[in-house]
Amino acid sequence: MRPQQRTSGVGSALRAIAGFGLLVVAHFSVRPLFGSRVMIDFILIATLFAAVRLRPGIAAVMGFLLGLSIDAMAPNSFGAGILALTLIAFGASWLKAVFFANHLALTGLFVFLGKWCFDAIFIVASRGALGVDLMLQLLLWTPLAAALTAVVAILLLTLFRPLYRAQPS
Amino acid sequence: MARNVSGSGRLDAGLLTACIALAIFALVMPVALREQVAQTIRAGALAPLLVLEGRATAIRATIVSREDVLTARGDVAVETLSTRAINEENQALRKIMGLGSRLQSGFVAAELLPTRAMDEDFEVALNVGTAAGVEPFTPVVTADGLFGMIRTADRNTSFAITWAHPDFAVSAMSADEAAFGIVAPHLGTGIDRLMLEFRGVPFRTALDTGTVVVSSGLGSTYPRGIVIGTVISEIATAEKWARTYLLRPAALPSAGGPVLVLLPDRASRGVNDVWTSVASADSASRAIAAAGDSTARDAALAELAARRVALDSAAGTQPGSDTLARRPLSRTDSTRADSAKRSVRSDTTKPKPTGPPPVGPKPGPPPGPPPETHPVELLQHLPLDLR
Repeated sequence: MRPQQRTSGVGSALRAIAGFGLLVVAHFSVRPLFGSRVMIDFILIATLFAAVRLRPGIAAVMGFLLGLSIDAMAPNSFGAGILALTLIAFGASWLKAVFFANHLALTGLFVFLGKWCFDAIFIVASRGALGVDLMLQLLLWTPLAAALTAVVAILLLTLFRPLYRAQPS
Repeated sequence: MARNVSGSGRLDAGLLTACIALAIFALVMPVALREQVAQTIRAGALAPLLVLEGRATAIRATIVSREDVLTARGDVAVETLSTRAINEENQALRKIMGLGSRLQSGFVAAELLPTRAMDEDFEVALNVGTAAGVEPFTPVVTADGLFGMIRTADRNTSFAITWAHPDFAVSAMSADEAAFGIVAPHLGTGIDRLMLEFRGVPFRTALDTGTVVVSSGLGSTYPRGIVIGTVISEIATAEKWARTYLLRPAALPSAGGPVLVLLPDRASRGVNDVWTSVASADSASRAIAAAGDSTARDAALAELAARRVALDSAAGTQPGSDTLARRPLSRTDSTRADSAKRSVRSDTTKPKPTGPPPVGPKPGPPPGPPPETHPVELLQHLPLDLR
């Protein structure tokens, strides 16, 4: 590997880490400012954006750690976030080819599906809702939140392209 | 190559399996252990992020509650204003009740009705009339003093002019009965319009600022002793034989609130004791002021005596002969042998000598006609005595 390519790779990794850190911080500092049932999931965006740069196994570990940080705030559903983010991160890393297309609409769709899957796994695993409430959550509130998260992900990719653009290996 | 790919796949699968297993274990672990793990994470790496989250939540709570805060602040302001108004009304009611208890009988309590007249400050409508015994030319008073006079009376309403009305006039006197005159509205402009004039006071009678002026009872409308106002200052007028004083009225027409209408029988009985507290308070204040003036006068006399001694020493004159000449006019018939200090005043503030008293008869002037006083001495004494 040439030194120039190695420098470029290190810079890209640092930018990715910085973007990941900003999203995690935004999850705890910006998200509470919007007190609504439909909320932006910055942690999921960070997971998806980081997972496409990592191996599936490493992405699964990253998802595990992020899920642990989420579940630490909700001990009643402890483990559900870990399971959901582990699966989402592993799946995103495994499906990284979608991101390689570098298409905003596809990225938005992927974030939307990732958020919907995360909520579905989380709700089912934590047994947070049943019956009509489960349907209402999965068919109304989760799609709305997923759409909002996808829009924010597209905006981030557009505005902070050097931080969140995935580079093909 | 294929072996590497297969190895990486097994590693990924192994990590995924381990993570899923741990996640499932976290789901089924006991609640106590779950709480302990969560608490450890919150106290560790997650602590700074939780601080951020707490501040963000506080900011949002502040933003959300801003409207509530503004609404609550408005409610508090309205309640405060209403409370203040209620307190003022209570004070007015207490005062009028106190006045009623002092009057005991022969009065009618009345409320001021809102009027639409242009000169609403000078003529007011009352909610009592002839049915309650109200007649024209009966005085209207408040706890503070004279308010006005009934001009016309219907069965259930009546109209009164206040002291600010141009037709208002009342025979008045100072509270110590030293000066008599007529009180009428001060027909000035602006804020001066809400003042009174005490006219026709004899020139020889000077009133101090703050002197209370009450009705004198001369005439048939206003009984003796109703407080009208207090002296503010003297007004220069073309009448050189009489003084005119500017009065601050005791009862303001704009104050509103309940008033009392003195019925004719009560007015004829007199109200001398009703506003006595006001007059006594005025006397007390003037006594205090007089005490202060006395102290200042004594200090000035002591200074004058010391100055005389110094002048005598410088001129080398005989103290005994000047002593006779410096005796004040008020004590010229004294036969005592006064010293220079004693000739000033007995209550002077200058300290007395602490030496032993002289033995034997005191030297002094022989009895007889008073000695002549130098004109300069008279001029020195005159203003001091006037103080």
